Amino acid sequence: MLHSTERLTSALLLAGTGFMPERASSVAPGVDGVFAFIFWLSAFFLAVIVVLTVLFVVRYRARPARPAPEPSPAHDTRLELLWSGIPLALVFVIFGVATKVYLEMSRQDAGASAHRVQVTARKWSWWFDHPGGKGAKELHLVVGRPTELVMASADVIHSLYLPDFRLKQDVVPGRFTRMVFTPSLAGTFPIVCAEFCGTNHSQMNARAVVHPDQASFDAWAREGLQPEASLVEVGKRVFDEKGCMTCHSVDGSPGVGPTARSMWGRMEKLADGGSVQVDENYVRESILKPSARVVSGFENVMPPIPLEEREIQGVIAYLQSLKEGP
Amino acid sequence: MSTAQAVPAAAGESYLHHGRGVRSWLLTLDHKRIGIMYLVLVIGALFLGGVFAMVLRLHLWSPGGALVSNDAYNKLFTLHGAVMVFLFVIPGIPSALGNFVVPLQVGAKDVAFPRVNLLSFYLYLAGALLFVGALVAGGLDTGWTLYPPYSLEDARGLGILLALTGVFLAGFSSILTGVNFIATIHKMRPPRMGWFDLPLFLWALYATGIIQIIATPVLGITVALGFLERLFHLGIFLPEYGGDPVLFQHFFWFYSHPAVYIMILPAMGIVSEVVSVFSRKPIFGYRFIAMSSIAIAVIGFLVWGHHMFVSGQSRWTNVIFSFLTLLVAIPSAIKTFNWLATMYKGAIVLKTPMIYVLTFFAIFGVGGLTGLFLGALATDVPLHDTYFVVAHFHFVMVGAVVTAFLAGLHYWWPKMTGRMYDERLGRISAALVFLGFNLTFIPQFLAGVAGMPRRYATYAAAFQGMNRLSTVGAMVLALGMLIAAWSLLGSLFRGRRAPANPWGAASLEWAAASPPVHDNFESPPAVVYAYDYSGLELISEEAGWARAGGTSR
Repeated sequence: MLHSTERLTSALLLAGTGFMPERASSVAPGVDGVFAFIFWLSAFFLAVIVVLTVLFVVRYRARPARPAPEPSPAHDTRLELLWSGIPLALVFVIFGVATKVYLEMSRQDAGASAHRVQVTARKWSWWFDHPGGKGAKELHLVVGRPTELVMASADVIHSLYLPDFRLKQDVVPGRFTRMVFTPSLAGTFPIVCAEFCGTNHSQMNARAVVHPDQASFDAWAREGLQPEASLVEVGKRVFDEKGCMTCHSVDGSPGVGPTARSMWGRMEKLADGGSVQVDENYVRESILKPSARVVSGFENVMPPIPLEEREIQGVIAYLQSLKEGP
Repeated sequence: MSTAQAVPAAAGESYLHHGRGVRSWLLTLDHKRIGIMYLVLVIGALFLGGVFAMVLRLHLWSPGGALVSNDAYNKLFTLHGAVMVFLFVIPGIPSALGNFVVPLQVGAKDVAFPRVNLLSFYLYLAGALLFVGALVAGGLDTGWTLYPPYSLEDARGLGILLALTGVFLAGFSSILTGVNFIATIHKMRPPRMGWFDLPLFLWALYATGIIQIIATPVLGITVALGFLERLFHLGIFLPEYGGDPVLFQHFFWFYSHPAVYIMILPAMGIVSEVVSVFSRKPIFGYRFIAMSSIAIAVIGFLVWGHHMFVSGQSRWTNVIFSFLTLLVAIPSAIKTFNWLATMYKGAIVLKTPMIYVLTFFAIFGVGGLTGLFLGALATDVPLHDTYFVVAHFHFVMVGAVVTAFLAGLHYWWPKMTGRMYDERLGRISAALVFLGFNLTFIPQFLAGVAGMPRRYATYAAAFQGMNRLSTVGAMVLALGMLIAAWSLLGSLFRGRRAPANPWGAASLEWAAASPPVHDNFESPPAVVYAYDYSGLELISEEAGWARAGGTSR
């Protein structure tokens, strides 16, 4: 029964908008069933309220022929208990069906063979470290494979929201939070941040790529691991993957932080009045401890980015290459 | 128990003329003048918050943002929320309308503690000025919810300290108002007025007072801890010093969820008054309505965790909070059906306050019923922190509360000012507010279901149509509000003189002159049940209603 009302809801309520999210996780149909149930119940009660309001206004409006109210009781305990009891019973039903689905959504045990992904949120980007060691800006999953996300934040509270999966979990600094689910549909789906986190909160987006089978995921996990990549390539990759360009543009346009375009070798005035030349040591310090020496005219908002040594060297090489220009 | 007796003032001299000059207002202990001063400030706050809202809506005309930078947008939505919540919706009905009406409804000369009342006004004013200070100091971009660690980062600057202090002071103002109303309702009633003779507006404010007294100190403690954490890094909320940011959310919502009932209970009180008076029938099921106010106040303390279903708190905690949250539906349903039953077989008069109340039924219906989606766990997880939530709480806090505020303002306007507003403009404004409101917020429900998170300065192109509808709706809503303001202000100059009892109401404030004299009543009013309309007859539109054989002027 839930399924037919559910289809009806989609048709009536959301088909017209053309972008009802997909049902891409094993719990999504259950969530939509609860939604449809509450929707139709609410629609019924709203209709009762509106119809009675209109009916009474039309029927009992004061008119010259009808200046005074008709006699009617000032209270009726049985009637009032009735319209307390019916909502109470319905509330129990809503609680029951919604909690049943929720207990499935909030499962904590993904099983021994789960697809485990470490998620790191920072202002304003996501990072996903996948099984097999490959890190990426995109979350890669496999259809039908139980998945566990273990999530940490490097700075403030973020929230990983997958609309097509009907799932959301806050990512809280100082602790790990988890999300356990099973993707049910291959494809690419948006990931957004749902907890306000500052300037570029609304652009803290990523994608979930759900592979049709394990082989497809494995092929992706192997490709691109290039131990022999040049330093400039490493730096460019870091710049891209850590979301540096969200604030430090590479084309010279202004942003939250100084542009990386002509940064290398420049003399910068500092917020505390001093000045510094952008060299290897200043770049290293600004990555690991950005608040130490902030360039004048910019907010002290950059979080520390813990990079490997080779990655720092890569960023330096990349900054140098940007200065020389293509 | 004694009723404060009238000290003879010049015969028939209204409270507006009792004492002249700015000092006679700023240092007044008269609850009516304090109520009017509150009214001026809360409407100023409503206007300021409304201007912020219009800028936000215009910015969201296009997906990339049409008007301002991301940072400016974040500051605007923060100030919109903070000003509206702390400076308009929470004090709006209790402090402005309640201050004026409560002593009149119990037939008293003033509230129990007039000096405390004035102190509470100045605490509110100081809080409001600190918010303006935060605005001048570069603004604040934390959201009105002030979640750490973001809110306590160094980059937030002076604004956060000023805002926290402002919230602290406004909170004390709210506590003192609650104390005053509870004491007044307990102690200042005339001997013949029992608990179940009280107007239901007083029951609503009594329940509100309980919440104000018990919950608001927790807000004070929370912002004080936030202040100290920011300055001294005590390690309470910030993880790098060993604190827990989710603890702040518990503290914050332990106040801020009951605060929703500080907003909606007085609104329900106004609805109970207006629906009875304009149906010319006693309220249906008085005791159920009175007790449902108390039930809402009590259950309201036990549901704060529903704001934190995806914060990482344990799933079984979530299950318990979900159950308690859904129970709030019961007293709300009781009230709604009892209001409808009050209209049954009545003689319904469609004056402006009643039209606002009729729209309240539909809007509160939507606001309450969409709460079911958010109280139920399975649907809250995807909908949490999306535009569905934004639409839901605007239906309750703007749709329902502002609609009831406007109903109450039009209802008591003749009593407060001695002038009748223009009915035609009043009805037009009520219709525009209703249309504009629905056009603004119904598309936001759809955007939320489709997955648009809240507090977004930019958004995916797919959401553009809904956002544009919403922006157009906001303009219609603003137009309706401006017409209401124009009509009410114009009535001060052009409105005809109001009779003591223009609506044929039975509660005691209508036994006083319009506007009342300084001491409220020239002689102690005869106490009747607040909804006993027997014997009230319309003399003429100009002279209003009077009890047959009585002399209520």
